[in-house]
Amino acid sequence: MKMILAHPQKCVACHLCEGACSFFHEGAFQPTKSRIFVHDFVDEAVYLPVTCFHCEDAPCLSNCPTYAITREADGRVSINDDKCIGCKMCLVACPFSVMGFAEDKHISHNCDLCGGDPQCVKICTYDALEYADIKPIEWMVRMDVAEKPAEG
Amino acid sequence: MPYGWTGQLLRINLTEGSVTKEPLKMDWARQYIGGRGLGTKYLYEEIDPRCDSLGPENEVIFATGPLTGTYAPTGGRYMVLCKGPLTDAIACSNSGGYWGPELKFAGYDIVILEGKAPKPVYVWINDDQVEVRDAAHVWGKQIEESEDLIRAGTDPQARISGIGPAGESLNRTACVINDKSRAAGRSGVGAAMGAKNCKAIAVRGTGAVQCADPLKFGELVFEAMKAINASPTTSMALRGMGTASTVGFTNTVGILPTNNFQQGQFEHAHAISGQTIAKTVLRRNKGCYSCPIGCARVTEIKPGGKYSGRGEGPEYETIFGLGSDCGVGDLDAVLYTNYLCNQYGVDTISAGGTVAVAMELAERGYIPEDDLSEVGTELKFGNADAVVRCLEMMSYPSGKFSRLLAEGGYRLAEHYGHPELFMGSKKQDFAAYDGRGAQGMGLGYATSNRGACHLRGYSMTLEWFAPQDQKIDPFTPEGKGAVQKNLQDKAAAEDAVGVCTFASFGATQPEQLAPMYNACTGETLSVEEWMTAGDRIWNLERIFNNRAGLSRKDDSLPPRMTREPLNNGAVQNQVVHLEQMLKEYYEVRGWDADGNPKAETLAKLGIE
Repeated sequence: MKMILAHPQKCVACHLCEGACSFFHEGAFQPTKSRIFVHDFVDEAVYLPVTCFHCEDAPCLSNCPTYAITREADGRVSINDDKCIGCKMCLVACPFSVMGFAEDKHISHNCDLCGGDPQCVKICTYDALEYADIKPIEWMVRMDVAEKPAEG
Repeated sequence: MPYGWTGQLLRINLTEGSVTKEPLKMDWARQYIGGRGLGTKYLYEEIDPRCDSLGPENEVIFATGPLTGTYAPTGGRYMVLCKGPLTDAIACSNSGGYWGPELKFAGYDIVILEGKAPKPVYVWINDDQVEVRDAAHVWGKQIEESEDLIRAGTDPQARISGIGPAGESLNRTACVINDKSRAAGRSGVGAAMGAKNCKAIAVRGTGAVQCADPLKFGELVFEAMKAINASPTTSMALRGMGTASTVGFTNTVGILPTNNFQQGQFEHAHAISGQTIAKTVLRRNKGCYSCPIGCARVTEIKPGGKYSGRGEGPEYETIFGLGSDCGVGDLDAVLYTNYLCNQYGVDTISAGGTVAVAMELAERGYIPEDDLSEVGTELKFGNADAVVRCLEMMSYPSGKFSRLLAEGGYRLAEHYGHPELFMGSKKQDFAAYDGRGAQGMGLGYATSNRGACHLRGYSMTLEWFAPQDQKIDPFTPEGKGAVQKNLQDKAAAEDAVGVCTFASFGATQPEQLAPMYNACTGETLSVEEWMTAGDRIWNLERIFNNRAGLSRKDDSLPPRMTREPLNNGAVQNQVVHLEQMLKEYYEVRGWDADGNPKAETLAKLGIE
């Protein structure tokens, strides 16, 4: 399975990923409807892009009372719009607070990997986002962690 | 809702504390694109250009462009317009950060501040809820604390644009700062806001910016992103070292203004260069909204020295303004004074220029001892303590000399009988390129509508930075009138549409930008019409200025530029040949010999 991996140390908080995500999914630029968020802690100079991790044991999925959240064949966690009743249990359950809620449609939404071509990854000129297989990701995360003390 | 624009304007009458929402005049929007152009049109129609820039009849206009808030590369800019307190001409200062897009998401293209609040206030825009609120608790506070307090009283995600102590005390070099360190810097726009007793505008927006042709727009944007990543200027120089990457180059060439433009090379240039910054004080890069370049530097002074602090910067212009132009070659001192400027809310270029001219006046003995005693340290080139002290004095003016500093360099030099030592045009300080080593820049400084400015017609790109096959001779005055006109029109359209001029180094030339604008708004401008729109904006600014009482005499340079040759590096025995270039410039602009746009020029541009 492939996933979106963020390298926060490369992120510059330009929020292009949010623009690209909302534009792809909503046809308009609206960061509040993006499925990826950049938390910018300006004072600390920490910029943290976060999106759905498609958890293996997904709390949103197990807490959905209408079984609207399911796991797809490609491994991602997806929401069936017709079954979603807008109860927001998934928002509460998500440990990363990346489940979104579209107030105009009254349903939840999460990252759908844009059908295999994630727009956020595509637009990021800083390589702060990567769409990669899980195996090499294990290695990349280790490298990120290892680089931190090296940078001092 | 129209595509690109939100179609709504917010008018805030501070005298009455009233808020009105108006539909955007779409015919004006189409004619003047947005941002700088549309803001100028509103200003031109609504205020008397002869008004007192610090009076209630002046307006302060915050204007975004149709691409602001989209993912067009660097599509996050906004402009602050007013009659400039520093220049008494049109002021139009550009800033990035996150504030402009937030205003669009809240549903407004433009905010107009009118009148004067009876007591300090700030404006809180929470989508369609807009309030004018008491600002007693933040008045007098420096930028960071003020932002934090306002955010605490509004929304944790609010974006804030406002003034510091300098703007409140009507310092004519005061700027408007958003997101703690992005500045709409020039012409004293912060003082105009201070004169209205308006501390800040806080915005939270949850809405959307629409796009007419999403497929086409996406295609154009992704193409541009690729080009920006492939261009060494944007992806290596600017991303790697920020604008400070320029220091080494201009110093080698001999146009890094030093000691109030007395020299063009600085012995300590390396110590304050982009390379040194990247190796020593840089914490990380930062990008403004939708910026694929990320030239902003987040820095921190290493502990153990005389200074401490952290913040954003320095930019190239700041390194010149607070560094070489004041003879200061200590990087920590440049960083520290940069942070001070951000906290006080003063423009690093004009504040630096003011200190530099004060230093030269003092060294030449033109300032009486009594006045100098206020400084408390020797006012001479190279004394960083004097820079720190002057910035403090001009931001919290109390005594006579500090009040003169707060008036900006021109008025200071004039007071002491030596206006010729002020290095600027239209009372606004030069930026960090000595015009004697780049004739086009010299002409650009003299003809810039908002007073001396490097970005209005950034001919450095052609005169020095361009690859050999595209480079033009920096020393020849011939043809520079046409070069400047073209660059000025191009920049006017960029500022109007809401992108940063740096994106054009990598991708967004008019040939790319006009189609992007079309795809976003649904308009159908050709590249030629796009440039004509830029021309139209330039001419409207010019008429504003002429009505404000400016004329050919204000398209001027100090005698140091036109009579004292520069001899540094590759620049040998050069002065600016202003008269010759002006003549050509007026001709290509379609202006008469006094610098007034001819009737037929205005008719052609559709300006009544």
